[in-house]
Amino acid sequence: MTELLLNAIMNGILLGGVLALLAFGMNLIFGVVKIIHLAYGQCVMLGMYVVYTLAVLMKMPVILACIIALPVMGIVGVLLQSLVINPLLKAKANPLTQLLALAGLTIVIENMAQVVWGADLRGINIQLPLIHFGNVYIRTSNLIAFFGALLTLLGLYLFLNRTYLGLAIRSIAQDLDSARLMGINPRAIYYTTMAIGGLLTGVIAAFFSPIYAVHPHFGGSFTLMAFIIVVLGGMGNMLGGFIGAFIIGVVTSVSAVLTSTEIADILALVIFIAVILVRPQGLLGIKVSK
Amino acid sequence: MLEIQNLNVYYGEFQALFNLSLRVPEGETVITVGPNGSGKSTLLKAISGLLLPRSGTVTFLGERIDHLPAHEIVERGIAHVPEGGRLFANLTVLENLKVGSYLKRARSEFSATLKEIYRLFPILDERKKQLADTLSGGERQMLSIARSLMSRPKLILLDEPSSGLAPRIVSRVFEFVHQIKVQGYAILMVEQNVRKALQLSERAYLIESGRVHKEGTRQSFLEDPYIKKAYIGL
Repeated sequence: MTELLLNAIMNGILLGGVLALLAFGMNLIFGVVKIIHLAYGQCVMLGMYVVYTLAVLMKMPVILACIIALPVMGIVGVLLQSLVINPLLKAKANPLTQLLALAGLTIVIENMAQVVWGADLRGINIQLPLIHFGNVYIRTSNLIAFFGALLTLLGLYLFLNRTYLGLAIRSIAQDLDSARLMGINPRAIYYTTMAIGGLLTGVIAAFFSPIYAVHPHFGGSFTLMAFIIVVLGGMGNMLGGFIGAFIIGVVTSVSAVLTSTEIADILALVIFIAVILVRPQGLLGIKVSK
Repeated sequence: MLEIQNLNVYYGEFQALFNLSLRVPEGETVITVGPNGSGKSTLLKAISGLLLPRSGTVTFLGERIDHLPAHEIVERGIAHVPEGGRLFANLTVLENLKVGSYLKRARSEFSATLKEIYRLFPILDERKKQLADTLSGGERQMLSIARSLMSRPKLILLDEPSSGLAPRIVSRVFEFVHQIKVQGYAILMVEQNVRKALQLSERAYLIESGRVHKEGTRQSFLEDPYIKKAYIGL
């Protein structure tokens, strides 16, 4: 039993790394474009289909397929900005309309995926070796995903803190009008942010591809988890999201072992509701007075 | 340098400025006087592009700028210091200054401008690693003005630089403004502390209910009985 638990905790932590990256992307988009990207998990799903198509159907090397998926998903992000988000911003749509539009987008993406790739599970079917420390077994693919995700987060951190573009993204998130007065073009920053957000779904898709097989409804639970993590950590708070990701990762992984995966999803939602009730601003969020 | 003619600005159906005309000559400091809600801040926002005027013209250095977006107006050399400073609270002092030099033409001169800023405002050098949020009211105002200078502007729009500050600090803020003035920048200032602001300026405009009611030299404002009674309190 302890072995089982240790394995579950380990897997939870490893999953937490990727979830942190997923939540970071959603949080960044929320912070800058002020849109809750409800189709974010669906974009990961789309990225996994891209990897599948390139690696299995077109017989490319898996690594190459994963690398190509990154810019492809970046472009998807830009397309979403121009086709879905720009019209919403231009019409000054209220938050409910925005949410409905993005929720509608999830249906469009899922059904499109079903038409193109069918409803069956699709995987790239590679087996990476299992390594073990005592009685704790770890899949190499999970380990790669974990360290890859942390490395990507570090890269993002440096980008946001050390470059003019990163600084512009952070200033737009804090005060749109002030940023405009500094000569920053909001439209360009929105596109950049959505491109980065899209690129991240490609990165996550690349890490997920050796672990999971994809199907048209693969993204839904990840959108939900990312959203829970973002709210749990405090909207717009990157560190809070990072901590929240590991909490959700471990809780769902442990409860899935002890009970079932359905219960695990329920538990994540229960934590979410409890946090909303007790600490609406999230773990590390700050109450906004304005 | 800046020439505004017959400007009409609306918030939805509400008209905030009526046929307003105003001029800021090169190197001069111009102050607008008027009660709260008379449209003075609106005027600054319409110049810097945060608001689009419905009609009228804004000409800067011989070029129409009234339909440009805000980020392109900064590019042309107008810096707007909004009321309350509007700093990026979660960025450090240095990062705030860095965002100030976001424009391509300002970036290449970042180090030189920064050195100049630190010479003018040594306290910002000391506090450069602190979050802007942790600064005192006067320091914030200083940082906000310094941030706008980082874009290497020719004209600075100052919206109530002394608002919300303790009287002791107000004098210091006017000292900063004076320092900037002697550097040769043109300044268009909205300010409630009319007596202090007039001391710094060459010309003034009285704006009430979105209309210019009087324009003239500093002297003519200081001697006007109505201005004295309503705004200077003598």
